Amino acid sequence: MSEPAIIVRGVGKQFRKPGVDRPSTFKEAVLKGFRNMKQERFWGLKDVSFTVPHGRVVGVIGRNGAGKSTLLRLIGGVGKPEEGSIEARGRIGALLDLGAGMTSDLTGRENVMIGGVIAGMTTEEVRARFDDIVAFAELEEFIDSPIRMYSSGMRMRLAFAVAAHIDPDILLIDEVLAVGDVAFQKKCIDRIAEFKKAGCTIFLVSHDPEQIHALCDELILLRKGRMVAMGPTAEVMSQYEASFTASDVEPDPELVSPVRTEDGTVLEYNVNRFGSQKAQIHDVVLMDLDYGPTYEIASGEGLMIEFSYTASPEVLSPKASISIVAADETVVYDTNTSVGGLDLPHGEHTGRLQLVIERLDLAEGEYFITVALFDETWSEAYDMHAGAYYLSVTGVGTGKGVLNPPATWDVKINGGESLNEQKARYLDTQG
Amino acid sequence: MSLLSDTSGGSRLQQRWDLLRELTVRELKIRYKRSYLGIGWSLLNPLSQLLIFSFLFGTVVPLNIPHYTAFVFTGVLAWSWFSSALTGSTAAIGANTELVRRPGFPVSVLPLLTVASNGIHYVLALPVLLLFAYVDSGGMGLSVTALPLVMIVQFVLTLGLVYLTSAAFVYFRDVQHLLLIFVMLGFYMTPVFYRANNAPEEIQFLYTYNPMAVLLEAYREILIQHRWPDFSDLAAVLVFGLAACAAGYAFFNRAILQLVDDL
Repeated sequence: MSEPAIIVRGVGKQFRKPGVDRPSTFKEAVLKGFRNMKQERFWGLKDVSFTVPHGRVVGVIGRNGAGKSTLLRLIGGVGKPEEGSIEARGRIGALLDLGAGMTSDLTGRENVMIGGVIAGMTTEEVRARFDDIVAFAELEEFIDSPIRMYSSGMRMRLAFAVAAHIDPDILLIDEVLAVGDVAFQKKCIDRIAEFKKAGCTIFLVSHDPEQIHALCDELILLRKGRMVAMGPTAEVMSQYEASFTASDVEPDPELVSPVRTEDGTVLEYNVNRFGSQKAQIHDVVLMDLDYGPTYEIASGEGLMIEFSYTASPEVLSPKASISIVAADETVVYDTNTSVGGLDLPHGEHTGRLQLVIERLDLAEGEYFITVALFDETWSEAYDMHAGAYYLSVTGVGTGKGVLNPPATWDVKINGGESLNEQKARYLDTQG
Repeated sequence: MSLLSDTSGGSRLQQRWDLLRELTVRELKIRYKRSYLGIGWSLLNPLSQLLIFSFLFGTVVPLNIPHYTAFVFTGVLAWSWFSSALTGSTAAIGANTELVRRPGFPVSVLPLLTVASNGIHYVLALPVLLLFAYVDSGGMGLSVTALPLVMIVQFVLTLGLVYLTSAAFVYFRDVQHLLLIFVMLGFYMTPVFYRANNAPEEIQFLYTYNPMAVLLEAYREILIQHRWPDFSDLAAVLVFGLAACAAGYAFFNRAILQLVDDL
C-alpha cells in the first residue's frame, strides 16, 4: 500500500448552539460584557479518525446534520478542528457549491475563465482546456451569451464542466452529481470514474445510494458527528439503511434483546445487528462440505453456510445476502439470493437457506461473515448480522493478495527444457 | 496555504496572480457592464469633485494655493483610492462568502483584490492627472519616475489597513459604519483640498503622523513642484504599512477561521 492521501486523527469540531448568537455589534458586546462572548457549544464532529489510501473513493453517509459536509470542508482546509489533526496530501479539487463565483452579467466564456482560476487553475491551464470544458458542458452555441440568459441546468452544467477539468490529487465532492438531465448526470458519474481511474483520491458526500454503490470503494457512516462505521460500501450502506428503518419503526424490544450464537458471538442490536426485525435470522452455521460444523477451513476447501429465518406477515419476498469480509474490512466475496436465482415467498413463513461454496480459494487469514435479509427492493433491511461469524482460513502464506487459487510456477533457463518438463521426464524414466 | 504544497512554488504564485487578475477584471466588468459610459464613470466621479473644489476654494473662498487644479486632483484621486478600498473592504468579505467556504480558495486574496480593483481606477485616471499636472504646473520633472514608488507605498499601506478592517468586520458588523465615519473624518484631516502648512503649529502633528498626508505631499512634490519626494518619510510610511500588513494578515487569517464557523 502506498502512503495515505488523507489522514484524519481524532478530529473534533465545535460549533455554537444555533439560535444563541454571539454579540456581533459593539453595543451588544458592551451590554453583555466582553467576557460573556463565549457561549454554549456542541461538538459537530467528535473523535473522527481514519485514513484514506491513495486512489480510493470514500463516501460519507449519514443523516442531515451528521457532520458530513463539515468533515469534507475540514479536509479541504476550510476551518480548523478544535481537536486532532488532518493531513491531506496533494492538490485539492472541490466539486461543491457549484455556481459559486458565477456572474450573471458575464458571458459563459468569461465565467469559464473566472471559474477555472477560482478552482485553482492558472489562466494558461484554463485556456488549454477551454474547448474541452465547453464541449463537456454542451454549451458551444451559447458560450458567448451572458449566463443570465442560461437556464439553471445550463449554468450547473457549465459550473460542473469547469470544476471537472482540474486535475487534483484529492477531489472533494458534495452532493453535486444531480446536475442536469439524466444523460448529463451519467456523464458526471463517468467523469468521476475517470478521475478514479487516473488515481485520484476521492472523498464524496451523497444521498444517492445508486451513485454511492457505483463509485465508492468504502463508506464512512456518521451519526451526530461521530463515526459509527467505516468499511466496504455494501456493508456500511446496509447498516445505514438498517439503522434508518430501525429508527422509523422501532422493532419490538423483545426481538432485539442480545442473543448468543452457537459459536459464542453475542448479537447485540445496533452494535453488530441491525434492521427492522420484520424477518429474523437465526441458527447460522458454517460447515465443511461433509456437514461438519466448523469455523476453520484449509484454503481451497469448500464451505457451506446455513441459516434459518422467520418472516412476519408484512415481509415482502425477502432477499438474503452473505458476504465474507477480511480483517482489514475488504469484502472478498459477496453474493445474494437474487444473484443465485432464488425467489423467496411473501408473507409469514419460515425457511432455512443454504449457500454452498464449492471451493474457497482465499488466502490464509481471518475473515468475518455477514448474513443479512432485505426486502425485495433492497430498501429495507430486515435483519443483518454484521461481521458476526468468524472464519479462519489456513494454508501457506501467499503474500499480499486475498486469493489463493491453485497455481504453479515454471521456468525455462536459457531457452532449454522447462523445470516442469524436466520433472515429467524424470517421472517417466522412473515409471 | 500548505494545501497546494504539491504544485511547485512558481506555478502556485502564477496561479495566485492569475486569480487576482481575473477577479479584479471581473469586479470592473460587473461594475461597468451594461452602462454606456463604462469605465468612464470612474473618471467622472473625481472630475466632478475637482469641479466642486475648484469652484469653492478657487472662486468662492479662495485658498490661494498655486496650481490648485493639479493640487486638488492629485489629492482627490489618491484619497478616493484609499477611501474606496477601505469602505469596500467589508463588502468584499460579505459578498464572497461562498468563496470563503471553498476548499483551496486563498481567502487572503480578497483584501488584495479590494485594493487592486480600486487601484485600477487610479491607474486609469493617471494619464488625465499627468496631463493636468503638466499643463497646470508647466511641465514635468525627472522626479515623475518616483511616482510608481509612491503608489506602491500607498498600496502597501492601504492593504495593511484593509486586512485589519476586513478582519475586524468579521467580529463586529459595526465596523462597516465606523469606517464610513473614519473615512469622512480622514478626508478633512488629510490635506486633500487644502494645504497643511496653513494650519497652526499646535496641530501640525496631525499631518506629520498621518501617512496619507505624507503620501499626498509626496505626490504633489513630484507632480507640481517637480522635486523628489522625501524618501525618509516615504520609508517610514512603508515600514508602517508593512507592519500593518503583517499584523493585519495574521488577524485576518484568524478571523476567517471564525467566519467559516459562522457560515
